[in-house]
Amino acid sequence: MNHLISRAGLGILVAVAVVAGAWARSGSGSVTAQAVLTGLLLGGVYALVAMGLTLIFGVLDIVNFAHGAFMTLGMYATALLATGAGLNPYLSLLVSVPLLFGLGYAVQRHLVSRTMGGSLAAQLLLTLGIAMLLENALLLAFSGDTRTVAVSFDTPLRVLGAVADLSRVLAFAGAMGLAGAVWLLLTRTRLGTAIRAVAANPEGASLVGLDVRRLHALTFAAGTACAGAAGTLVTPLVTVEPTAGELFNIIGFVVVVLGGLGSVPGAVAGGLIVGLTEQLGGIYLPGQSPLLAVFAVFVLVLLWRPQGLFGRPA
Amino acid sequence: MIRRLVVLAAIGVALAPLPLLLPPAQEAVAVRALMFAMMAVAWNLMSGFGGLFSFGHAAYFGLGAYTTALLTVELGLSPWLGLLAGMAVAALFGVVTGYLAVRYRLKGAYFALATFAFAEMLRLAALNSELVGGAVGLTLPVTGEQGWWTLRFDVGDPAYFWVALLLTLACVATVIVLLGSRAGLNLVAVREDETAAAAAGVAVVRHQILAIGVSAALTSVAGGFYAVYYLFVSPDLAFGPSVSIQAILPAVIGGVGTVWGPLIGAAVLAPLSDVAATVVRTPPEFLSFLQGRSGLDVIMYAVLLIVVVLAMPRGLYGGFARRSR
Amino acid sequence: MRIKSCIAIGTLLTLSLTACGGSAPGGAAPASPDASGTIKIGSIHPLTGALAFDGQQMSKAIKLAAKAINDSGGIKSLGGAKLEILDADSQGKPEIGQSEAQRLTQAGAVALVGPYQSAVAAQVATVAERNKVPFVIDVASADDILKQGYTYTFRLQPSSDTLGRYGARYLKDLADRTGQQITKVAYLHEQTDYGSSTYESFTDEAAELGLQVGPRITYDALKAADLTTELTKVKAAGVDALAVTGYYRDGLLTAKAIASVQPGVKIVLGVSHGAFSSPVFPRDGGAAAEGVYDSNFNYDATKPESKAILDAFQAEYGEELRFIPFTSYECVRLVAAALEKAASRDPAKIREALAGISFDTLMAFDGPVQFDESGQNENATPIVLQVQDGKVVPVHPAAKAVAEPRPAAE
Repeated sequence: MNHLISRAGLGILVAVAVVAGAWARSGSGSVTAQAVLTGLLLGGVYALVAMGLTLIFGVLDIVNFAHGAFMTLGMYATALLATGAGLNPYLSLLVSVPLLFGLGYAVQRHLVSRTMGGSLAAQLLLTLGIAMLLENALLLAFSGDTRTVAVSFDTPLRVLGAVADLSRVLAFAGAMGLAGAVWLLLTRTRLGTAIRAVAANPEGASLVGLDVRRLHALTFAAGTACAGAAGTLVTPLVTVEPTAGELFNIIGFVVVVLGGLGSVPGAVAGGLIVGLTEQLGGIYLPGQSPLLAVFAVFVLVLLWRPQGLFGRPA
Repeated sequence: MIRRLVVLAAIGVALAPLPLLLPPAQEAVAVRALMFAMMAVAWNLMSGFGGLFSFGHAAYFGLGAYTTALLTVELGLSPWLGLLAGMAVAALFGVVTGYLAVRYRLKGAYFALATFAFAEMLRLAALNSELVGGAVGLTLPVTGEQGWWTLRFDVGDPAYFWVALLLTLACVATVIVLLGSRAGLNLVAVREDETAAAAAGVAVVRHQILAIGVSAALTSVAGGFYAVYYLFVSPDLAFGPSVSIQAILPAVIGGVGTVWGPLIGAAVLAPLSDVAATVVRTPPEFLSFLQGRSGLDVIMYAVLLIVVVLAMPRGLYGGFARRSR
Repeated sequence: MRIKSCIAIGTLLTLSLTACGGSAPGGAAPASPDASGTIKIGSIHPLTGALAFDGQQMSKAIKLAAKAINDSGGIKSLGGAKLEILDADSQGKPEIGQSEAQRLTQAGAVALVGPYQSAVAAQVATVAERNKVPFVIDVASADDILKQGYTYTFRLQPSSDTLGRYGARYLKDLADRTGQQITKVAYLHEQTDYGSSTYESFTDEAAELGLQVGPRITYDALKAADLTTELTKVKAAGVDALAVTGYYRDGLLTAKAIASVQPGVKIVLGVSHGAFSSPVFPRDGGAAAEGVYDSNFNYDATKPESKAILDAFQAEYGEELRFIPFTSYECVRLVAAALEKAASRDPAKIREALAGISFDTLMAFDGPVQFDESGQNENATPIVLQVQDGKVVPVHPAAKAVAEPRPAAE
């Protein structure tokens, strides 16, 4: 416990120092405040994306390259419902989450399960193939034209000189809410305990009578459902196109490594950190892509502490 | 080893008259197949024989492409010099990043993600650097002296194919020689069981770095040729994830960890893209809904990849090689 | 294991059968120019992707122009030969534009028109030069395209250099005419050659006029989903005016961000912007669109022939023809005029005809279309338009204006 508190304390110190540095560099309080606000709000969504990814890795030991593609599917489902049936994007969560859950279950049961226990290359390539297939099926079906979905009641909210659209705040709130729900599921329900048992000790779990194959499929499904939910939540914020999920896929991996593969609180902390790094990085390195700062941090973490902030040392 | 080199020479001789027999549109497909082959053979050295799964080979490809382009555009040098310089730059980058990754004991998925991150960082750096043209990229001069020194020919000239063939044969020969040598045997031993190899006295890190460096240099040759052939490089075309995937697919589909697998994979995949484009432009009756749409070629690749991974993990060639024994 | 191999081989066979089912593989022998039959003109535009909105209409405009020419007798000096448009999708990517241009040339196109993006134009120009087929750029402003010493590329619209310089001049004019003090101008532009080269010439001219340009903020037009951060930087800089260069989709994002952030600038001026003088911009851009200026090339709204074309397009496709696709229409008329003059299907002769042509155009330019040695239309100039009461109207220079420039309400 003390360990965690001192770690958190150190983190907050670093964060304050970085923000102060950004303020000095940009010479403007409002620009810095804007960066912090946008960074946190965006980070919340990253956390949700990463949470699904880290669940899948923690329990199934699979690096799911198709995660971003599933998220894109969620976006398209939302966009189609919005334009076709005039459905409010947030209500389409009721559609996208079960849809992606079911799809994830099927994919794991019939495709991914065949590579479990096999070589890493096989797993990576299979999920890569699934990602390419999903993305290009969307491209074929809906063409590369971009779609935008607007929320009718979207208004800008002002906080300390910074501005954020309501849709962005809702995306954050939704992401954090779902993250909390997943956390409760894992820690307070029998199903959650079973899943954690499989993650900790697969042989032991099957010895005590747990249906490991079914739990694998359920966990994968839960992971893709998270991706689908994240997709729905960000639809009003991004332009929907077949490659829309690619960026979130990459960032998802960065967050997962940062937070620790298999750690749900790590995904949340990592998500917020990456969001902030991206926005503040834009101030420290003006004219450079903000992602550059993110990748620099990623590489440093990989080399210096590959188990991430909350992971156990290898 | 000698036997393989003889087979390689035979393949070279058999392929040489190809551009004279094919119409120009198909000749472009053949050239592209050779480029895939170069990249896949190089990737296979590091990831198949070396066991270090790389997801960021675009880094080396792009360094080769940009180095050749820059030297040609800014200094007017012959692309041959550009290719050599590119090999040096890419090998250096590979050795440095590879050393970092291996020294910090990155394995499996972590290693793959690190290679991906390096490629992405190069892409972002190129995107924002005026020195290499930023987002606009570099266009190589179209007008000027033609010939084998400047590697500038008319559109559809068979010389492009022959240059590509030469480079590909050189790449495969390098891999064959390396694998047949002591270092090559040690490399495979390290892949099979690192601890045992180390116990037997093999310098693990040194051999892994060697594989990475050579792989990087060979991949950069493909990149340099790309610049010469298409006369255009941009951050996405040079360092994008699709380039890394292009290096992996032919090797996996043909057969990872075999010498001929990547070549067969390249021969199968290169025409697929063209076939898909034709189907989409003038589809047969029962596929008329495909008219004018894009994405079919990648879907074909993806289906092929999934099928191979699940049903033929040794790849097309690897599967047959096994059976024929 | 055998069953799996069978499945694998079966899949491969199915794929290859599908391929065989398609007609004429790309390996057909290169078509030599038809001695008789239709005259093929290649059209390369982004029909899919982020810029498809204008790209698709450009393709339609080109087809309508060809139809109009065919209906009135085709190319008379070639015995009434009809035009055939070969359509290609650049997908917004330079390498696809290049390979499609190559394909169209091999399919027998004697001229190419396109491509709406400076990045793609550079690559199509390379193909045109190597294959010796004339290429008429309808829309793509970067100066570099015509600085390579190519002889086969021509551009109808003004260059970035012209557009940037006039933009700065017009900004000063607008400030004077509306009695507003403008000294500091922030510049927001998309990051490729199109945005950069316009910015550079704008800044050069602005310096001579005593305007201070900065900060310079760039973004990726194809990937940006939100420009709030960028507009916040504008607000923080406390400038008097904002100059913007970008495409349609990101133009809407800019308007949206201006509405959220309210940077408090006196003048928002598009410089050769793809959205701000589009007739659908006021509808799509909402309240933030009102009062926005654009210094851009446009068709001459006072000429009755322009109205006739707009009406014909509305009748054929049921949508309003925008100014960018109108330029594509004009290019087909230009190529047809060159064909008439050359009286030949030989691309080299068509090129010569274009090089020396003097073509009366419906664009609001300072004279007929005449190309200089680099292929640039010398008489191409922009005008200033403004969104007033939900409509885009020309306001400056006075000779081509329909209304007075209106300062933004405080």
